[in-house]
Amino acid sequence: MNIALSATPERRLRFSSQTLVTVAFLAPSLLLLAVFLLYPLISSLRLSLLDWNGLGNTARYVGLTNWARLAHDTVFWQSLRNNVILAVASIVIQLPIALALAVLLEKAGRGSRVLKVLYFLPLLMSSVAIGVLFKQIYDPNFGPLNVALQAFGLDGLAKDWLGDPHFSLGATIAVIIWQNAPFYMILFLAGLSSMPAEVNEAALLDGASEWTIFWRIKLPHLQGTVRTAVLLSVLGSLRYFDLVFVMTGGGPEGSSEVMATYMYRTVFSSFQLGYGSTIGSAMFLIVITVAAVSMYFTRRYATEV
Amino acid sequence: MAYPGFSKARAIVGATALLFSLSAVVSNAVAADSKTITVWDQQTNASSSKIIREASDRFEKSAPGYKVENSHVLNEAYKTKLKVAFGANQPPCVFENWGGGGLHEYVKSGQIVDLTPYLSKDPAYRNRFMQSSWNVTTFEGKTYGVAAENAAAAVIFYNKEVFRKYGITPPKTWDELMHVVDVLKQHGVAAFSLANKNKWTGSMYYMYLVDRIGGPQVVKDALEGKGKGFEDPAFVEAGKRIQELVKAGAFAPGINGLDYDSGASRRLLYTGKAAMELMGAWEASTIANENPGFSKDLDFFAFPSVPGGKGDPRDLIGTVGDGFLSISTECKTPDAAFKLIQALTDDQAMQARASDDHKLPPVNNVKIDDPFTQRLQKMIAAAPSVQLWYDQALPPALGELHKDTTQELFGLSLTPEAAAQQMEAASKKGS
Repeated sequence: MNIALSATPERRLRFSSQTLVTVAFLAPSLLLLAVFLLYPLISSLRLSLLDWNGLGNTARYVGLTNWARLAHDTVFWQSLRNNVILAVASIVIQLPIALALAVLLEKAGRGSRVLKVLYFLPLLMSSVAIGVLFKQIYDPNFGPLNVALQAFGLDGLAKDWLGDPHFSLGATIAVIIWQNAPFYMILFLAGLSSMPAEVNEAALLDGASEWTIFWRIKLPHLQGTVRTAVLLSVLGSLRYFDLVFVMTGGGPEGSSEVMATYMYRTVFSSFQLGYGSTIGSAMFLIVITVAAVSMYFTRRYATEV
Repeated sequence: MAYPGFSKARAIVGATALLFSLSAVVSNAVAADSKTITVWDQQTNASSSKIIREASDRFEKSAPGYKVENSHVLNEAYKTKLKVAFGANQPPCVFENWGGGGLHEYVKSGQIVDLTPYLSKDPAYRNRFMQSSWNVTTFEGKTYGVAAENAAAAVIFYNKEVFRKYGITPPKTWDELMHVVDVLKQHGVAAFSLANKNKWTGSMYYMYLVDRIGGPQVVKDALEGKGKGFEDPAFVEAGKRIQELVKAGAFAPGINGLDYDSGASRRLLYTGKAAMELMGAWEASTIANENPGFSKDLDFFAFPSVPGGKGDPRDLIGTVGDGFLSISTECKTPDAAFKLIQALTDDQAMQARASDDHKLPPVNNVKIDDPFTQRLQKMIAAAPSVQLWYDQALPPALGELHKDTTQELFGLSLTPEAAAQQMEAASKKGS
C-alpha cells in the first residue's frame, strides 16, 4: 500500500518533467516549422485574396476574384496538365527504369559498385548545370543529338527539340527522368537488400526462373517501396520547377509551363503577387489532396520503407 | 529528482539559446548604420563595377563619415532580389533600374524618392544629360531616376564578309530585305539569327515594324488607351510581316528554343550559319570580348523602312540610359544619396564608361574614340524618336503578355489579329 502510494506521485512527476524535456527539444523545430512553413502557407492564402504588386501599401482586397480568374485561366490548366503528364511519365517510364537498374545491379553484386556510382552521378549534379548541358545537346544547329541522328540518316527524327511546342515538354521530361531515376534506383536497392537471401535460394532450389522470382517474390516484397516511390514521384512532379525553368522557361508558347514556373513568372515578371499567391495556394491544395487521397487508397501497402 | 530537473533546465536553456542565435542573425541583417548607403546594381563585369567603386570613393571623400556599400548582382537574379527586398520593406538606398513601367510600379506604391526638387536646384547637372533620358523616369511631371549606364538602341548587325561574298548590300527597305533573305537562303545561309527563348529578343522585330509602319505615336496612344489601342492596324501589320519573314525561312532553325544568355544567336553568326542579328548595340562589345577575331567582319545598319509606312527610318528602339539610379523612400539619408548619385554620374565616371567600358554614356559632354560608338551616338542624336523597349515601357503584366504573344507570332501559332486583340483586351482590363 505504502509503496504504491508513494510511487504514483513520483512516477507522475517524472512523467511530466519528461514531457517538458520533450517539449523543450521539439520547440525549436516546431518553431522553425511554424515560421517557415505554417506562416507562409497561411499568409499566401491571405495574399491570394488581394490585388497587390508586392510593393508598399497598395494592396486591395478583392475577395475571390483571383480564384475565379484562376478557374478560367487556360495557362494555369495547361500547366496543371503538363504537371500531370510529368507525373504519369515518371511513374510509367522513370520507376520501371529505376526498378530494372536496381534489380540488375543487385544481382550483379559486388562487381557493380562502379556502375552504382556511375548511375548515381546525375543525381549529384546541379539541376542548373544539367539544364545548360542539355540545352547544348538539344541545340538544333550545333547540338550533338541532331548531328548524331543525321549521321545515321535519320534526318526526319532530328527535331527542334526545345523550340517546337510539340517536343519541348517531352524533351524536358526526358532529362528530368534521367536526373531523378537514380534516386528511385537507390530506394529500390535499399528495399531489395532487406529481402532475406534464403527466400531467393529456396525459390531457386525449387526451380523458379529469374523471371518468376522477380514477379512472385521480389516485386511483392518491394510493394511498400513502390508505394513510397510512386507517392514521391507524383508529389515531386506536381511541384516541379528547376529543369523546366532552366531549359525552356515554360515555353515556347507555354507548351512546357508547369504550375511552379507559371507562379514564378506571375509574381516576379508580371508583378502580380496576389494572383501568383493564388496559383501557389491552388498548387498546394492540389498537391495535398493528391497526397491525402493516394495515401488513403494505398494504406494497405504501407510497410517500412 | 534533481537529475531530470537539471536536464530540463539545460534543455530549455539550449532551446532558448538556439532561438536567440536565430534572432541575432536576423537582426544583424536588418541593422545598418544610418551613415551607410547601400547601392545595388547589375554591373557585374570588372570594369563597370570598378567605375562605380571609384565614384563611391570620391563621394566618401567629399562626405566624410559616410560609407558606401556596393552590391553587384546579375540581371535576372537582380530583378528578383530587388522585388523581394522591396516587398520585405528592406530595399537598398540607391538602386539601378530600367525606368519605364517597372519603375512606375514602385513609384505608384510610394517607394521612390521624387528627385525633381534636387534636379531643379542644379539645372547644370540636369542639362548635361541627353534630354530624352528623362522621359523614361518621369511620371506625372515628377522625375524619379537619373540615367547612368549607357544609351543603347537596337540595330541590325551583319557579317560584312558574307554580304560581300554573295554580292549583297545592307537593305534600306523591306523589299530589299526580302531580296537579301532570298539570296542568302539560296546559298544555305539563314538571314537572321534569333534566340527567342528569352522573348525580348524577338520583340525587337515587332517594335521596329510597328514604328516603321505606324510611326512612334501608335504605341504611345496604345499605352494611354487612345484610339484603337493595340488593335491599331500597325500592330496587326507588324505581326504579319514577322510571319512573312518566318515563312520565307529568314531565321536559323530553332528560334523559340534558343537561349540568348548562353550565346546561341552569336554562335550562329560566328559559324557563318546566319548573316544578321537584330540586337541592342551592346552586342558589339559582347562580341569584341567573346570573339575578337570576328569583330573585324562585323558592321551594322538601321532597321529598313516599310513601303507606305509612316515611321521615320531614323527612329530607334532602345533606351537612353539603360541603368537608371533611383532612391528608395526607406533611405534614411536621401540628400547624401542624391550626392552619391551625382558622383556616380559625374564627368569622370561617364568618361570612364565611354573609354574603359565601351559604352555610350547618356550625357552630351563625353569624348568618344571608338568609331563604332561614335556612329551610334550620331544615330541616337539624329533620331526623331527613341522608343523604350515595350517590355519596360508597358506595365509589367502587359509587357509579359506582349512578349508571350510575340513569341507565338514567331511560332506561327497565333494570328496577328488575335495577338492584337489579346493585347488590347488585357490593356483595357488592367491599368
